[in-house]
Amino acid sequence: MADFLANYSIQKWLESCPQGYLEDTVFGHGPDEREPDDLLKNESYREQQIRTTVQLIAGERCALAASSGLVNAAPDQASKTFLATQTLDEGRHVEIFTQRLYDLGIKPDDLESTIKTYINPHLGKFAEVLLEKVDKKDFVAGVVGQNIVLEGMAFSVFEMLHTGALETNPKFAHTLSGTIADERRHVGFGENRIGELIRRYPERKADVQRMQRDMTKHMLATFHEAFSRSPAVADTVAPSGRKSNATYQGLKLAEASNEEMESALSATVLGEFKTRLGRIGLEYQSPV
Amino acid sequence: MNDPLETARRAPERRPRQSFELEETGFNEVPKRFRKFYRRWRGPKDKLAPNEALCPVCKVVIRSTKELRAGDRVYCMPCMSRLELVEENGVLLAKVIY
Repeated sequence: MADFLANYSIQKWLESCPQGYLEDTVFGHGPDEREPDDLLKNESYREQQIRTTVQLIAGERCALAASSGLVNAAPDQASKTFLATQTLDEGRHVEIFTQRLYDLGIKPDDLESTIKTYINPHLGKFAEVLLEKVDKKDFVAGVVGQNIVLEGMAFSVFEMLHTGALETNPKFAHTLSGTIADERRHVGFGENRIGELIRRYPERKADVQRMQRDMTKHMLATFHEAFSRSPAVADTVAPSGRKSNATYQGLKLAEASNEEMESALSATVLGEFKTRLGRIGLEYQSPV
Repeated sequence: MNDPLETARRAPERRPRQSFELEETGFNEVPKRFRKFYRRWRGPKDKLAPNEALCPVCKVVIRSTKELRAGDRVYCMPCMSRLELVEENGVLLAKVIY
């Protein structure tokens, strides 16, 4: 067994995460931080934020189901331990984004109906491809789907949202910074564990690459649907007129069109996929 | 306190390595005693110092008390990756050791 697995311990997770960057936070942000007033008072801006947050909850529910399902599929104790910590991370993400919906004015009784109203249908198909592998206890495909494809996508989406929220919504930015820190561990586990397993089981490459192609197709459809449904102004523009100067991949977010935003995010995520997959010995498969 | 610089290559080196004093950078994603060994990356325009390497997995900058050179192995604690430094076209890059 590779000795890097010895680093996956509950103690290290405790010191880094709950006793580290999450110390003194409440639902992932500072106890005194609130959603901005101008957001809560502007109905179309608030709805836009609700729609975005629903996609985050849906993605995190998928990640929770996948990481918990993979615990019993893992071939060694260290991987089970890591996935147990990841399960708690994902459960926390579901909770903090659900709390954000409440902070945006959604009543707990309306949670599921709100999710049903705003969820992007392509995101559901994306999750189905991954959870089918998890249900079959296919550890290699499950970890590639979860920790490289899903987490790789989440990493880029969170970074874009974080960049946009830094100036206009410090509470949401703070919430996202903790999830980004969690994602670093998750993508690290995916690359390190699968990088080793793919070298040991090269016959699994074709099947895993097919799954990546299918997940990528649904991911791109998710982005397209999300940006085509959004209002013309990006998430970073507060209705009060406070314009963010934030830039993402060279794009000034407050001035970018939805097409430009979709193109920048898709290019970033696909570029990361190609690089990550290449490093572990897999070849990126284009869905087109 | 463990420096992320795990091993140095054994080949004879032309000049002694520079030493660096590490200050806190505000990075809080690892236990307190290790925080000064890491910092957040500020994007493609972020110029790395001779004692720094960029983790290709999680995009955190790893810092050592010694100048880094090709052949050195470093550890990225935020994503738990082991990396080896290689020189490509005169640029020092970190490669993951699987």
